[in-house]
Amino acid sequence: MAILEVKNINKSFGRNHVLRGIDFTLEQGEVLSIIGSSGSGKTTLLRCLNSLEFADEGKIIVNGETIFDGSVNKRPSEKELMQKRLHFGLVFQNFNLFPQYSVLDNVTLAPRLLTKDSREQIEREALELLESVGLADKRNNYPCELSGGQQQRVAIARALAMKPNILCFDEPTSALDPELTGEVLKVIRSLADRHMTMIIVTHEMSFAHDVSDEIIFMDGGVIAARGGPAILDNPTSDRLKAFLTSF
Amino acid sequence: MNTFAEQFPIVFQALNVGFLQTLKLFAVTLLGAIPLGLIISFGSMSRFKPLSMLVRVIVWIVRGTPLMLQLLIIFYFPGLVFGKQLWGGGESGRFIASAVAFILNYACYFSEIYRGGIQGVPVGQQEAGQVLGLSKTQIFFRITLMQMIKRIVPPMSNEIITLVKDTSLARIIALQEIIWAGQAFMKGSQGISGAIWPLFFTGVYYLIFSGVLTLLFGWVEKKLSYFKV
Repeated sequence: MAILEVKNINKSFGRNHVLRGIDFTLEQGEVLSIIGSSGSGKTTLLRCLNSLEFADEGKIIVNGETIFDGSVNKRPSEKELMQKRLHFGLVFQNFNLFPQYSVLDNVTLAPRLLTKDSREQIEREALELLESVGLADKRNNYPCELSGGQQQRVAIARALAMKPNILCFDEPTSALDPELTGEVLKVIRSLADRHMTMIIVTHEMSFAHDVSDEIIFMDGGVIAARGGPAILDNPTSDRLKAFLTSF
Repeated sequence: MNTFAEQFPIVFQALNVGFLQTLKLFAVTLLGAIPLGLIISFGSMSRFKPLSMLVRVIVWIVRGTPLMLQLLIIFYFPGLVFGKQLWGGGESGRFIASAVAFILNYACYFSEIYRGGIQGVPVGQQEAGQVLGLSKTQIFFRITLMQMIKRIVPPMSNEIITLVKDTSLARIIALQEIIWAGQAFMKGSQGISGAIWPLFFTGVYYLIFSGVLTLLFGWVEKKLSYFKV
C-alpha cells in the first residue's frame, strides 16, 4: 500500500486556478522530486500536504488514513489539524529557524511540548539528529551565528525531530549561496540512503536526477510529465524539454 | 519661613508625598495597560470584522483626543449626567478616575505597538510552528511573543517615559501628585507662599525617574541582543 495517495487536488486563489487535478502516489521509502518553473503550483501543493493551505477539491490519504477530503465541508478543529500535520515535516526555502532559541532548543522545542518523553531522552535524540547533519558542535549557538547552509541543516534536524512519515522540502537550497548548496544536498542524500520518504521541490536538476525514484514535472497547475530520473535525460514531453533547456 | 534652609525640609516632605502618588499612578497604569493593550491588539487583529472595526474606532477616538479631555470626562461624567459619584469622593475617587483614564488611554497606544510587533514577526515563523504540530497558543507564547517583545522594546520605552510625565495631567482633576504638591507652595501652604523653586524641584524628580527608566530599558535591550529578528 502506498504511504501517500493524492487524488485530484484542485486549488484556486480567487480566479487563479493554481492546482488543476493533481494525482500521484508515493511508496514508503521513495524520493519524489517535483520540478517546474515558478508559479506552476509546486509550493502550493506542498502547502496543501502540510495543511498550511486547504485544497478546494480532492483527497489526501496517508497510510490509509484520509487526512484531507475536499467533499467534506467541515473545517477541521485545531486538534485535528495538529494531528494531521504530524504526518508531514516541512523544510522551508528560507529556513524559518526560531531566532530566540539555540540550535538545540530549535530541535527540541516541538518534542518537549508535544511528546511525553523525558527531557534527557529528547535532548539525546536531538543531539543524534544534529550529529547526523554535522552540527552537534553548534548546539549552543543561535541561528544568527550560523551560515545559511548550517541553518538549513538545523531546520532539517528540527523537522526530523517529530518523526514525520514524509519529509517535504520546499526549494531547500534556493536561498543559499552556490557554495553552500552542496552541504545541504549531501544531508538530503544521506536521508535518501536511509530510505526516508521525501518530496523535494527543487531547481537542482542534477541532484533531482541522482536522488529521486520518481520525478514529477509541473506546469500550469497540472502534472505535465512524470517518470523515473530518465525523463530528465530523454524528456517525453515538449514542455519538459523546453523547461530543461532553460537550465 | 523665608530662608531656603527653613523651607527645604517642608517642601521635600510634601513633594515626596506627591511623588508617591505620581509613582502609584504610573505603576497602576502600566499594570493595567500592558495586559489590556494586548487584548485590544488581538481585538483589532480579529478576523471577525465587526469586532476589529469596533476596536479600531475606539482606538482612534482614544488616541485622537487629548488625555486631559478624557480625564475630565471620565471624572465628571458620572456625577453630572447620572447624579451618581461613581468613583467615590476625595483623593481616592480622583485616583481611581485617573487610573481608569490612564489605563484606557495607554492601553490603546500599547495595542498599536503590540500590533506592529506581532505583525512584524514573519509569517514563516508561525508556519514553522504549525508544521511542527504546535497549537496556536503554543505558537504565540513560545515563538511569536519573544520576537514581538524584542521588536517593541524601543517604542514601548518611549511610550513609558512619556507616561512618567503624562501622570502630571491628573493635576487637572486635582489629583495630589507631585506638580500639585509643588504648586501648593506658590499659592501658599504650610506657611510658605509665592515660592517657585519647589516647581523647579519637581522637575528633578521627573529627570531622575526617566533617567532610571532609560537605563533600565537600555539594559533590557542589551539582554535581548543575543538574537536577531
